Amino acid sequence: MSNRSLPGLVSRDGETRVRVTKGLELTKRQSMLALVGLLVVFAIPDIATVTPSLQLTVVHQGLLFGLAAVGLNLLLRHTRLVSFGHAAFFGTGAYTAAVLAAKFDVASFSLLLIAAMVVATLVAAIVGYLSLRHTGLYFSLLTLAFGQLLYALVQGQSFFGSSDGLPVRPGAARQPLIFGLALDSEAYAVILYYLTVIILVVSLVVMWRLVNSPFGNALDAIGQDRTRAQFIGIPVQRYVWIAFVISGVYGGVAGALYAMVQQHVRPGPVLYFLRSGDILFMAILGGFQTLLGPLVGGVLLVFLQDVGRDVTAYFDALTGVALLIIVFGLPRGLVGSLRAGGLLAAATRDFRENPAVVGEWISAAVTGIVEATRNWLRDVQSILGVR
Amino acid sequence: MTGLETFVTHTLHGIQYGFVLFLIASGLTIVLGILDVLNLAHGELFALGAYVGFTIIGYLTGLVAPPTTLSTQLVFLGVVLLGAALTAAILVPVGVFLETTFFKPIYGRDEVYQIVLTFALLLIIKDVNKLIWGPSPLRLQDAYGGINSIPVLSRVGLTYPTYNVVIIVIGLVTVAGLFWFFNRTKTGRIIRATAINREMATAIGVNTGRTFTLVFALGAFFAGFAGALALPPRFASLDMGANPLVLSFVVIVIGGLGSLRGAFVAALLVGVLSRWAIWQYPPAELAAPFAIMAIVLLVRPEGLFGTWGEMG
Repeated sequence: MSNRSLPGLVSRDGETRVRVTKGLELTKRQSMLALVGLLVVFAIPDIATVTPSLQLTVVHQGLLFGLAAVGLNLLLRHTRLVSFGHAAFFGTGAYTAAVLAAKFDVASFSLLLIAAMVVATLVAAIVGYLSLRHTGLYFSLLTLAFGQLLYALVQGQSFFGSSDGLPVRPGAARQPLIFGLALDSEAYAVILYYLTVIILVVSLVVMWRLVNSPFGNALDAIGQDRTRAQFIGIPVQRYVWIAFVISGVYGGVAGALYAMVQQHVRPGPVLYFLRSGDILFMAILGGFQTLLGPLVGGVLLVFLQDVGRDVTAYFDALTGVALLIIVFGLPRGLVGSLRAGGLLAAATRDFRENPAVVGEWISAAVTGIVEATRNWLRDVQSILGVR
Repeated sequence: MTGLETFVTHTLHGIQYGFVLFLIASGLTIVLGILDVLNLAHGELFALGAYVGFTIIGYLTGLVAPPTTLSTQLVFLGVVLLGAALTAAILVPVGVFLETTFFKPIYGRDEVYQIVLTFALLLIIKDVNKLIWGPSPLRLQDAYGGINSIPVLSRVGLTYPTYNVVIIVIGLVTVAGLFWFFNRTKTGRIIRATAINREMATAIGVNTGRTFTLVFALGAFFAGFAGALALPPRFASLDMGANPLVLSFVVIVIGGLGSLRGAFVAALLVGVLSRWAIWQYPPAELAAPFAIMAIVLLVRPEGLFGTWGEMG
């Protein structure tokens, strides 16, 4: 308890914990996991030079989409609003950086990033103002429609390069300058990666602070019951709107970094509504009831999509089946289910105790399919009026 | 072409487009209004309709004589429409299957799972289409040309495809049929009652589970019908479901959530206004419907006929 302002060790309930920031104290196990996780993330560029199957840009992209998913999760987890248009902010960030680089020859990394944050804030403020008038499914529907509006705008204007997109290669160096340094392309990729990791860690800590602040608690209250939250004096509309803007800014930052990593931005990969679906899926895949889940989901999905495209032409269907498994089998996501009491943890325990349990699972699956077919036939008969 | 003729042609194109939009959006809006599920896979059901229609209409038109004289032309038209109806009928068991297998277990769950589920179905159906019909776009060239060879509007000196006139007529009949169904038949009234108050409907003896299945099957029926009808003038392609899906959302928002009448007015509005926008300023093609939506949202957030769940 001695060290109040700096990260350090504290003792709680007779246990030593690592103090990261106010209120965020990790147990020994958690800090070990966090340390290992950080080390792996930091070692990725080195690992990538050894194995050809792991590419730095793929992990990098995964982290960025994961960051956008972390932003989306602020709405999803706390206010219970399902945004299906989050690619809009990712795309806004990416296109802000791209337009500044391609049309105005802005080369500074920090300037591009800050500009992307500002524009994403504005766009999120407007979209949020219009779509937050509704809740539930209609909110999802509106965010999707606004996302497609941005897609349509970019696609239709030659200023944005239409469907060919814009290059992000400003200045004499043909790439953004990090702290004014002109680096060769490999050094640029690696340094940008480490910068991303730093931004990511800062964003996660900020998000943690945010959701554990009175503001975050108010969002939870809104998510549980809007009317009640209104009655106990929470300015529901304004708080939800602020949360929406913050989550949009996360997307914008991720998008700007994405533009600088890829050095070319096209509307399809960053603005199309399937991308919004991907970002939402990342949050669900990793577990949207956790802080880190969306990030894990992001890296995993981008990696799997990269590998899967080489393996099969029907990769979308595989993603779909994976989604079905998550929805019906692991509703808490991977990170959520690995926790004690989760379905995945229980399944591994059962399997360890008695490997024959697999037989039971298979027979349960077969019974399920037979049952579903029988139900279907009965319902078709009932709809068609045949007895 | 005189200015007036251009205007009339564009307006007719807009009306035709509006009717196709309405066919798609009507299914989506009744599913949304009654099942409380935002079905992202609805656009893929439309695409599936187009693909099934490609096979069925292609097969059926191969059986009849080529449309050269008036009588063969009329037979040809009848066969194409029969094919579209059969396609829609095939989509009914597909809809029942999707509803009973995937949607039934999930009604009580958090809505994020419903959205993810329909997104999963979107991806799967898209790849099923790819598996069966292949990745390259398909076209029913003969059907469009064959029906257009029937002179209708050229008799009054207007160059306008006959097929589009057929779509407008079918659209009118379908709209009338839908309103009749929901206002005059027992089943339609049961569906409306379920939409307005699910618990009360159960209390007075409505089998809501069966009603839900029926509604979803109805949505699939109209999506498939729209897909088959929209096919002849265009290509059936894997990504054809996305745009109608999003435009249906726009139509639902403009018309008022859950209102069938609103969806009808909004579909025609979006169809005609976006057609005029393309005519006057082509780059606005994609953005025009969204601009209309934004204006309606600002002026009337509840939509033109916002009845919140009540049909009619």
